[in-house]
Amino acid sequence: MEYIGEHLLPGKLGHLAIFLAFSAAFLSALAYYFGTRRRDTPEAANWKNIGRGAFLVHGLSVFSIIGIIFFLMINRYYEYQYVQAHTSDDLAFRYIFSAFWEGQEGSFLLWMFWHVVLGVVLMRTAGKWESPVMSTLSLVQVFLMSMILGVYIGWGDDPARIGSNPLMLLRNLVEAPIFNSADYLNLVQGNGLNPLLQNYWMTIHPPTLFLGFASTVVPFCFAVAGLWLRDHRDWMKPALKWALFSGAILGLGILMGGAWAYEALTFGGYWAWDPVENMSLVPWLMMVAGIHANLVGRNSGYSIKSAYIFYILSFLLVLYSTFLTRSGILGETSVHAFTEMGLEWQLIIFMAAFLGISIYLLISRNKGIPVPEKEEATASREFWMFIGALVLLFSSVLISGSTSLPVFNKIVTFFNPDFKPMVITDQVPHYNKYQLWIGVLIGLLSGAAQFMRYREPNWPKYNRKFLLHAGLSLGLSVALTALSLLWIQAKAWQYWLLLLAGWFAIISNLDFLITFIRGKIKLAASAFSHLGFGVMLIGILASGLNKQYISSNPFLMDGIIEGAEEDAAKKNIMLFKGVPMPMSGYQVTYVGDTIEGFTRTYTVNLKKQDADGKVSEEFNLHPNILYDKGFTKIAAYNPYTKRYVNKDIFTHITGLPEVEMDAEARKNREKNLNYKPVDLYPGAGFEMLDTVNLRDRDTFDLRRVTLTLEGVNFHPVHPEYDPKPGDIGLGARIRVTPAAGDTSYVVAPALVLRGQLAYTYPAQINELSMRIKLDESAIDRYIGIEGNLDFKEFRLKQGESAEFNGMPFRFAGVDRKPQNPGYVKEENDIAVGGLLEVTGPEGKRYLAQPVYYIRGAQPMNIRDYIPELGLYARFVSIDPATETMTFMLAQREAGPEALPVDVATNSFRSDFIVFQAIIFPGINLFWIGSLLMLSGLGLGLVNRLKNR
Amino acid sequence: MKKIHIVAIGMIAVAIFILSRMAGDMSSYATFDQAEVSGKKVKIAGELVKEKEMVYKPEEDPNEFRFYLRDTDGKEHRVLLLRAKPQDFELAEQIVLTGRMKGDEFVATDYLTKCPSKYKDEEVFLKEKKS
Repeated sequence: MEYIGEHLLPGKLGHLAIFLAFSAAFLSALAYYFGTRRRDTPEAANWKNIGRGAFLVHGLSVFSIIGIIFFLMINRYYEYQYVQAHTSDDLAFRYIFSAFWEGQEGSFLLWMFWHVVLGVVLMRTAGKWESPVMSTLSLVQVFLMSMILGVYIGWGDDPARIGSNPLMLLRNLVEAPIFNSADYLNLVQGNGLNPLLQNYWMTIHPPTLFLGFASTVVPFCFAVAGLWLRDHRDWMKPALKWALFSGAILGLGILMGGAWAYEALTFGGYWAWDPVENMSLVPWLMMVAGIHANLVGRNSGYSIKSAYIFYILSFLLVLYSTFLTRSGILGETSVHAFTEMGLEWQLIIFMAAFLGISIYLLISRNKGIPVPEKEEATASREFWMFIGALVLLFSSVLISGSTSLPVFNKIVTFFNPDFKPMVITDQVPHYNKYQLWIGVLIGLLSGAAQFMRYREPNWPKYNRKFLLHAGLSLGLSVALTALSLLWIQAKAWQYWLLLLAGWFAIISNLDFLITFIRGKIKLAASAFSHLGFGVMLIGILASGLNKQYISSNPFLMDGIIEGAEEDAAKKNIMLFKGVPMPMSGYQVTYVGDTIEGFTRTYTVNLKKQDADGKVSEEFNLHPNILYDKGFTKIAAYNPYTKRYVNKDIFTHITGLPEVEMDAEARKNREKNLNYKPVDLYPGAGFEMLDTVNLRDRDTFDLRRVTLTLEGVNFHPVHPEYDPKPGDIGLGARIRVTPAAGDTSYVVAPALVLRGQLAYTYPAQINELSMRIKLDESAIDRYIGIEGNLDFKEFRLKQGESAEFNGMPFRFAGVDRKPQNPGYVKEENDIAVGGLLEVTGPEGKRYLAQPVYYIRGAQPMNIRDYIPELGLYARFVSIDPATETMTFMLAQREAGPEALPVDVATNSFRSDFIVFQAIIFPGINLFWIGSLLMLSGLGLGLVNRLKNR
Repeated sequence: MKKIHIVAIGMIAVAIFILSRMAGDMSSYATFDQAEVSGKKVKIAGELVKEKEMVYKPEEDPNEFRFYLRDTDGKEHRVLLLRAKPQDFELAEQIVLTGRMKGDEFVATDYLTKCPSKYKDEEVFLKEKKS
């Protein structure tokens, strides 16, 4: 079939680019391989040139694929499945990037993009290491490219698929009847980007994180190259720079993920030991361990083997992390949503290949790796740095082990189908209780090791200095720990120890910075990092242990549930609009809300009160919610954080009245209300009794309210009513006065007749839980239904007068541009409006302008209606021969006496929010500390780049 | 023996110790019957019973959401989740609850939902008919 409107050329070019990128990476890997194998022969240079050329072709192809996908996305070519799945017409341009890497294929491309960039830098800087390093990098690219290849191999009904191609056409992937029509594209709309991801974090976090992931490949490539060439020392110098780069960027990426979770999502924290978080942390830990082993190796000759292993592990763990997060194996253990690509086996082969290469190289080169004959001294920096690296390894093993539980389950279930999968019952405490010790050890080591020297030449003489500094630091740290425990309420001694380790890292590194290196910035990188680590530990303890939900409400919670643990889970407060509520030392009031686009922003006022009720501080919070397209459901709750230097108040909305959250519920609620019909007479009050349920539910109160009809109009205004031409509207002004109290409420319900359908627009008085709408029978009484009317025919010439139901009227003339709101002009219409001047009973004059028109040889007419007289006028024909025009007039029954309205009491209040507020004390210490730690890595890199 | 080896052996010993302790932190998904018998904090996986009522009345208590869950044995039981009603709860394919049995209710303090991945049905990508 020939389909209409498809753009197939970019797709074809894209397929070509994918094929080219894959083959060129393969060629590059091969050429660089031979360039390495034959490095001592004259042909090596040729191989290297082929490798370079092939890698550049590969790089250009990768850029082209990305460019083509962007082009398709920007133009919303929904014939491509990837475009249809990730964009939509209403997606703002600034989210195109986010949409690009929302899908797995896009994120693989982002990863490859960074590898290409890093590869080009390596070509220029790696020197003699270029061939072996680029050979490994190109091989990695071959595997990554295969993930988006989209080739079927094999025969029969179920051929094996290699990769998932992002340029597949929708109609080739989905079987659906609409593809039987050639113009199916007119019917297709985009899925759009998950609203939770429509956020600037989604624009900056993935590129940073993926650059971090991608950069782990470089130290890996150098490690492989070192083993491959049996040159076990030289590789460490360039590898260290890259490892520092990788550590800083990957760390930043992880931290951004935490900041995103904290700032924009409603997790209530920056870290939750979620599998996805864990598996991004572990490669970073190994990279940091590698940096330490590398430093030791460069300065003392020890730990070279460990440096190899750590760098290799860091990259292999990135691959493992990719496998875990993209294979769907984590299933329900993670809050992150995974879409499965069906490429599990391909990812396993990817991992196995590089694991195999690494193991082979490590075993075959094991003997040649230099190890100093003499064992390292216990009192040397290299020894304790190595112990520190081992602690990091230990931490990684524990984290990966627990995170791999679903993998373990899968393997055991394979051999024993009756096995019941295991899960970690309480994720956060499980990880915390072990990692706490890692924190203690690292904190103490990162302080003490700073005072030590590489290859300690004279410990008996030096140990006094060491003991002095370490001892003083420790003493001061103990004092500061005791002092800070006044602020941080830590109930277990383990936390005191961690706090002490944090302080010790801070004090000893400050000491090191001042007395040992005397502020020389060139030597300060490690001090900054370790200082930052200490600050971070204190921030974690302060914000984690003393995180406090302040949004519990003692009055609503009384005696509903016993048991402390469940009580702790009660974290929300309900706020009625305008009703102040007490909340943990604050008075909180939901003030109001505004809607802009799909975002509804709430204003919540907080007043901090002391025991006497004196207000010491007052501020407004603005959490918001995001509705989906069509306002039918809520897509996201976005938090709002009030920041202080020493704490954050983190708030978000956790719930709204069901009628605000769900359009369906709103309809059902309306149907189920118990409306009572009431006839209101103009000017007269109507008294009714309203039963009010009290909280203890056994008693109720009777409340007297008076309804007064203050006026009726025919041009209603209602927040939900969007006037259209041809509408006949009816609106009322009704005053509702409760007997007790001196407030009265004025509401304006509306009723609109559009074509044959009547639409009611009720009005709600939340304070009285009362809902009022105009009864549909009001149409009959106030407007009249045309079918029931008795039309009378008049044939008039221009200027002639007549009388109808006692009302004189005159055919004043015709208007060639009719001014009737019901008439919508189309091209080629011949239209005439007839001007009828009608004099009402009190002598008041009205003008009716019914319209007669011919559209497509069909004569038609549009009526006009004068609500005040109840008069209908139609202009039905023109006799050109006699110049007479025919009008039809009708009047509805005698003027209305009563306005029928329906009143529902006990309608649910819809003016409240469910609100959560958490105080995170000292959270800025966490951010400052972790940024300081990463900037230390960055500083180390800058210093080494300058020192070339 | 080198010091490094002693350290390594020490670490391996600690690792084995920790790993043996870890089992205590883990459990398989329980059923309502098991939760009833043990009375301990357990994780229960199951699906929402869509035919039975879901009650969330924030005007009475914003921290109580009641519904029925069908566990892996097919037994249906009433659950009290001490949270505001989660977004898109009805759409969840699987629900995992952490909590314990209290009286005739399973009182859950935490939950995880697994939402269906993207639909492949035609209706999902068709424009809504304009009426």
